Amino acid sequence: MTGLEAIAHHNGWAIAAVGISIVFTGLTVLSIIISQLHKVLTFWDERKTHYERLKDRWQKEELPDFALAQDIEESARQFRLLTDRLGEHFPLPKLLELAQKCGLAHPHSAMNDLLITKRIVPDGKGYFVWNK
Amino acid sequence: MENIIDLLTKFVSNTGFAMADYRYVIMIVIGMIFIYLGIAKQYEPLLLVPIGFGILVGNIPVFKGLGLGIYESNSVLHYLYFGVTAGVYPPLIFLGIGAMTDFSTMLARPLLMLLGAAAQMGIFLTFLGALALGFAPNEAGAIGIIGGADGPTAIFLTAKLAPNLIGPIAVAAYSYMALVPVIQPPIMKLLTSREERLIRMEEPRVVSKQEKIIFPVVGFLLCCFLAPAALPLLGMLFFGNLLKEAVVTERLAVAARSAIIDSVTILLGLTVGASTQADVFLKYDSVLIFVLGAAAFGVATASGVIFAKIMNLFLKAKINPLLGAAGVSAVPDSARVVQHVGQQEDPTNFLLMHAMAPNVSGVIGSAIGAGILWSFMADRM
Repeated sequence: MTGLEAIAHHNGWAIAAVGISIVFTGLTVLSIIISQLHKVLTFWDERKTHYERLKDRWQKEELPDFALAQDIEESARQFRLLTDRLGEHFPLPKLLELAQKCGLAHPHSAMNDLLITKRIVPDGKGYFVWNK
Repeated sequence: MENIIDLLTKFVSNTGFAMADYRYVIMIVIGMIFIYLGIAKQYEPLLLVPIGFGILVGNIPVFKGLGLGIYESNSVLHYLYFGVTAGVYPPLIFLGIGAMTDFSTMLARPLLMLLGAAAQMGIFLTFLGALALGFAPNEAGAIGIIGGADGPTAIFLTAKLAPNLIGPIAVAAYSYMALVPVIQPPIMKLLTSREERLIRMEEPRVVSKQEKIIFPVVGFLLCCFLAPAALPLLGMLFFGNLLKEAVVTERLAVAARSAIIDSVTILLGLTVGASTQADVFLKYDSVLIFVLGAAAFGVATASGVIFAKIMNLFLKAKINPLLGAAGVSAVPDSARVVQHVGQQEDPTNFLLMHAMAPNVSGVIGSAIGAGILWSFMADRM
């Protein structure tokens, strides 16, 4: 048997296609691994530096919480002065308007922080009160 | 007086002159051509000279039964030939190649490894060609590996798949490897424009010692998990390279790349040459194998060059498509050919270093290809 018939009979097309695919896959995967190898080694060599950097970052990430806590306390103090004029039960739009008029910094986000941290809570009647 | 004449007649009839026919003369001429090409033209002299002389050794007509011929089970040559038929010599040669090879350029630019993969198309297209010409699948697999342009791999796979074809396949593989400077340039020029041949490659980055040490371990594990049948060849190749790069095993590396590879090359070349006895070698199949071998080298070269051109369609920093021709694993000859053809266009363009990347990846690719064919054909024998 010869010619294309022989190739088909011996499953030649499939063997050739699978064979070249495996060679390509092998060398492609190897080339990808090699291309990343020096980066992995550089990372490993500088692992102490990276660890120090991460440690610094974690410490820095903790600071904003502290700073935020301080900011919220300050916002709460300022908003409490404003609500003294509005009474114990106050509407939020009015409080916001007053905060804007008095020139408080970032009144929307500051009020949002107070709501999220539940310092200001709804009284169940459409107004808000300070959470005691 | 009659006794003397009888003795003389018997002696004369037992001499090579009396037993030789035209086939032995043809083979002896071929052996001489190999020796000439090796010494005068310096085409792969370390291979062609032992093989050429081996052809002379194998084609001295000998009296059958005296234990002289390589195919006689009690002959010295037969014992030496055991290293070929049992697949002992090729892995030892790979050990030496590994201990000689510097994979730096490949590690610096791994993308070029794909050219080594593309050139292996030659193996599988030749396999199809051999099937189409009526060879059995195991023989077609052994013939196809000539397209890998790697002598030890060709011998190793042929010993496993079709031991009866070792002589013609080994001689074809080594002949065409030696003729790489003749076969490749016309194909390379035909498939590339002058502008493409003038492309200069970027300087490769410096590769650290750590990378060079880790590579043989990672490469071995990955390749052999993917194609376990390539274990004898790739295992030794990467082991040899680890010996070289580890520095602390320098003595072993020196032994592998000098004493071991030299001894094995002598034994391999001589016995492969001797296996080409005229009555075994000069057959119609051998002619077909030589035709397919030439086609295999041409297809492998063209595949590499064309794939490099395809890669250039997607790359910002273009690569010189001549490098694709180095994907055939005739180390380092095909890389030298790339350098030579590149410098014909621009004498200041140095491509040799870059061509070594696809060249050595071609060695890995052809060993994987051999492993794949072996595993596919093992149940068909």
